[in-house]
Amino acid sequence: MNLASYRKKSPWILHYNAGGCNGCDIEILACLGPKYDIERFGMINTGNPKQSDILLVTGPVTKRSRERLVEIYAQMPEPKVVVSCGACACTGGVFRGMYNCEGGVDQYIPVDVYVCGCGTRPEQIIDGVVQALGILEQKTKAMEVSVRLQKEPLKEEGQINRRNIADQIKPALS
Amino acid sequence: MNDLLIPVLLILLAPLIGGLVYGFERIIKARMQRRIGPPLLQPFYDFLKLADKRKMIVHSAHAFLGIMHFVSLWFALAVLLLGGDLILVIFLHLLSTSLIILAGYSTRSIFSHLGANRTAISILAYEPVLIIIAVSIFMLTGSFDASAAFNWDQPLLYKMPLAFIALLLVLPIKLKKSPFDVAEAHQEVTGGVEIEFSGIFFEAVYTAKWLDYVFCYTLVFLFAGNNILLGIGLMVFTFFYLNALDNSSARVNYKQMLRFSLTVSFSLAFINLLINIFT
Amino acid sequence: MYPLITSLFLVPVIVSGLLLILPKTVARILVITSSLVLAALSLYVFINLDGVLYFGVPHYVNDLVAVADIVLLVYFGWIALRRRSWLVGLMTVLQFGGLLYLLKILPADHSLQFMVDKLSAFMFLLINVISGIIAIYSLRYIDEEHCSSFRKKHFLSILFWFIAVMNLVVSSNNLEYFFLFFELTTLASFLLIGFRKDELSVKNALTALWMNQVGGVAILAAIFFIIYNGYGEATFSNLLAHASASGILLPLALLSVAALIKGAQLPFSKWLLGAMVAPTPVSALLHSSTMVKIAPFIILRLSPALKDTPVATVVIALTGFVFVAAAISALSQDNFKRILAYSTIALLALMIMMAAVGTPVTIVAALVLILFHGMSKCLLFLNAGILERVFHLKQSSDMDRLGESGPFTSLVITIGFMSLLLPPFGAFIGKWLSIETLGALATDKKLLGALVIVAVAGGGAVLSLLYFKVMGLLIARTGDHDKIRFEKTGLVYAGTMYVLLGLIILSVLGLPLLLTGYFVPVASQTLGMPVAVVMDGWNMHIGAMKLPMVPLLIALFLLPVTIITALFIRFKNVDRVKEYMCGEKINYSFSSFYFSTDRATPYFTTTGILFFVALIVAALI
Repeated sequence: MNLASYRKKSPWILHYNAGGCNGCDIEILACLGPKYDIERFGMINTGNPKQSDILLVTGPVTKRSRERLVEIYAQMPEPKVVVSCGACACTGGVFRGMYNCEGGVDQYIPVDVYVCGCGTRPEQIIDGVVQALGILEQKTKAMEVSVRLQKEPLKEEGQINRRNIADQIKPALS
Repeated sequence: MNDLLIPVLLILLAPLIGGLVYGFERIIKARMQRRIGPPLLQPFYDFLKLADKRKMIVHSAHAFLGIMHFVSLWFALAVLLLGGDLILVIFLHLLSTSLIILAGYSTRSIFSHLGANRTAISILAYEPVLIIIAVSIFMLTGSFDASAAFNWDQPLLYKMPLAFIALLLVLPIKLKKSPFDVAEAHQEVTGGVEIEFSGIFFEAVYTAKWLDYVFCYTLVFLFAGNNILLGIGLMVFTFFYLNALDNSSARVNYKQMLRFSLTVSFSLAFINLLINIFT
Repeated sequence: MYPLITSLFLVPVIVSGLLLILPKTVARILVITSSLVLAALSLYVFINLDGVLYFGVPHYVNDLVAVADIVLLVYFGWIALRRRSWLVGLMTVLQFGGLLYLLKILPADHSLQFMVDKLSAFMFLLINVISGIIAIYSLRYIDEEHCSSFRKKHFLSILFWFIAVMNLVVSSNNLEYFFLFFELTTLASFLLIGFRKDELSVKNALTALWMNQVGGVAILAAIFFIIYNGYGEATFSNLLAHASASGILLPLALLSVAALIKGAQLPFSKWLLGAMVAPTPVSALLHSSTMVKIAPFIILRLSPALKDTPVATVVIALTGFVFVAAAISALSQDNFKRILAYSTIALLALMIMMAAVGTPVTIVAALVLILFHGMSKCLLFLNAGILERVFHLKQSSDMDRLGESGPFTSLVITIGFMSLLLPPFGAFIGKWLSIETLGALATDKKLLGALVIVAVAGGGAVLSLLYFKVMGLLIARTGDHDKIRFEKTGLVYAGTMYVLLGLIILSVLGLPLLLTGYFVPVASQTLGMPVAVVMDGWNMHIGAMKLPMVPLLIALFLLPVTIITALFIRFKNVDRVKEYMCGEKINYSFSSFYFSTDRATPYFTTTGILFFVALIVAALI
């Protein structure tokens, strides 16, 4: 039995707002409602990184939220995909270049699907998630790490200790 | 032979049955909200997907206690289905709950602790009621064995309607349904005790929930005596009642739950006990 | 047999005297050997005792007892004067007057002052084994106490004195002797509670003194009424022989009052709670094997006479109430020892209730509860001492790091709590037997049975919530402590823990054997009628009650084995990940929840007093 084929049938979503205006979040929640009903694809909004497969990030990454973003990303078990929802999450949007803002999500974690729009429409989100599912099926269980902000995970006795992976913040490359 | 075969089959297939009930429940719930809902086999897809995830845990004791929660719950269910002593069954269920509570406490995680606290409090809410119901069944059948209730030639429901209502009022606590889902409360404590489990280790806790369905519906079935048709009717009624209640009510806090359960449900069960004793 | 039983009385007395004069190392050896000897003796007596053994003592001992009574009361009077405690003074005057009057009217010839039956032998075993372990434990504990070396010797000496007096209490037949020994346990507990000599200790010791003296007055009154009503000698055996006579209820009720006070039932719970100020071995001693266990012992002794009387009804109702009230009060406590104390009061209520119901199965349940509660509470209290001494913890809310710093201690405490709560442990079996037989009780005593079942069900659930609350703080640890290393607490502390754990697990494993060979003979002799025990396939039938053995054995595998394995198991090739805290990196400190019971407590006390009044009224009507 090929277990990988079931990834597509039960994608559980974690939704994280890295510092946006909540516009995209409302659209994500609209997907759960009766009109768009993404539960018919087996999707659940879990609110818990340890049990989810898809990380939906909205908003630009602020200095305050970047460690939390990486920490939550590290707590998701592989295989996992990241969908950045909305203009801010993709590029920084209107907040780009501000003193408190670090730009798009891909500055810190590897993003698989970019969904454009300010705010994104539910149809676009669903489309993005469906594309992410295609990528999810191809992924392996090898460990994935964040792009800029990371500490080498400790290996002890054949086990990987990824507990304090976002402990140290290196200054952003500039 | 035959009267042993059915319980054994039920015990072996309990996770499957529970999974189907859960899948069906998700559809019904979606339809009540005018959604289409997931496919019937969705719980099993979830199950297979979770098996495929990279394994990670907080620490070994926590993961192990989660697995043992599943095992001990299955055992409690087996004793119930084989017609064992009801008080023993209630205590064995308490044992399995105690393991998940300990698992919740064993990590230094806030949500896990909150969930464990709330689960411990919900024990206080439902356990006395269940014991009183078991004693009422004893008053009627003269035996604490579940098999005596299964073989009783007249539905227990006629003699103990109030106890059945009390059971209906505590079942949402046990199955973590609104308005009494404080222990799980996805929007507040993101699942409570189950939060730190992931991948294949979460599977144990996830399937244990399915077993809980079978456990609770068997308790409902007890009220039908040997009348199987009525038993199925009661189970279907309870199923729709639970989902309608879940969809139509908001969550109360733990104090309200405790107060409601210890005043209303408990007194209902107690009045029923008095009726059974004095008639 | 006589020399053996007498040596059970004399050996602790001699050891107690020797401990005062011997140097430290010799005293250590003496404590250990005499504990072992006493345990072996009591085991031998238990195994080889058949039937009921009555024996008298020479005539001059009677005079000696009278003199000892007077000396004791004079000492109490002196304490009352010195501490200016009018309650102690009042009680002493009452006792003194009563005693002098009784000495005048007491028939001169009483021959059978001692009675040793299987119940006494059962108590011997409990007292000597558990107290021996506590004595060995306190060798180290008292060594670390800040006091003069003489007072350390004094402490151990009183400990053995206590054992001797307890052995005498459970084997006395004559109520006058019983009164003396009863008061001597009061004296021993007074000395032990006041051991630290600070203000609080003295105050609480005086509370314990006067409350227990009320029990003494009740015993004297009981003796008076027995003689006044013309039932002949004031002995237990005589009392049981006149079980159905009219007017016998008053002495029975008075003796029950004495028992309930010793058992720290509401409103007399204050003395046991105040006993917490003493060094921890004292609490362990008072709660597990001695002192409070006199309460279920007296009721068990009287149960054939008490059964189905109005007095028994009131006792059952009272203990049912106390079971719930004490459990609820425990929920509001933070101090670890106070939590344990309240749970002792609750479980004692259950034992007394079972003994007062008096059917064969409930007697077995009471015995099972006495034994397993003794072991578990001893384990927990000794651990409370270790927590104080090694980890410097007193409040349960501070214990949230214990799982990391002291995994062994936290494991032992967890097992201790589990053993009071869940299958397959003995205390659970006792509770289970209680619920099922109370169900049977409800068929003839309808309302009472129903109410008591509600009390047991409700109180049991509250207790389980309480235990989970404490256990939860004990076992938390972060993922960094995946591999645990047991802490070193020292030979004496760790050794006594291992012995107690071993005893608990062995007695759980041997429960079918224990029930047939240990509890049932005791129960049948106490009741004076045979208790039927049949093994039918995998079920054991005790009277009308069925115990399925297979689920219990599997539960044994599931619970204790799981908890122990959970500490040692390590999953390989699995990533370790941080706890989910919304991505934050703060370390939270954990605490537990409390229920405030301040508003309810006055009602508890008032209700308790009303029940005590009702007890006497029920006897008079």
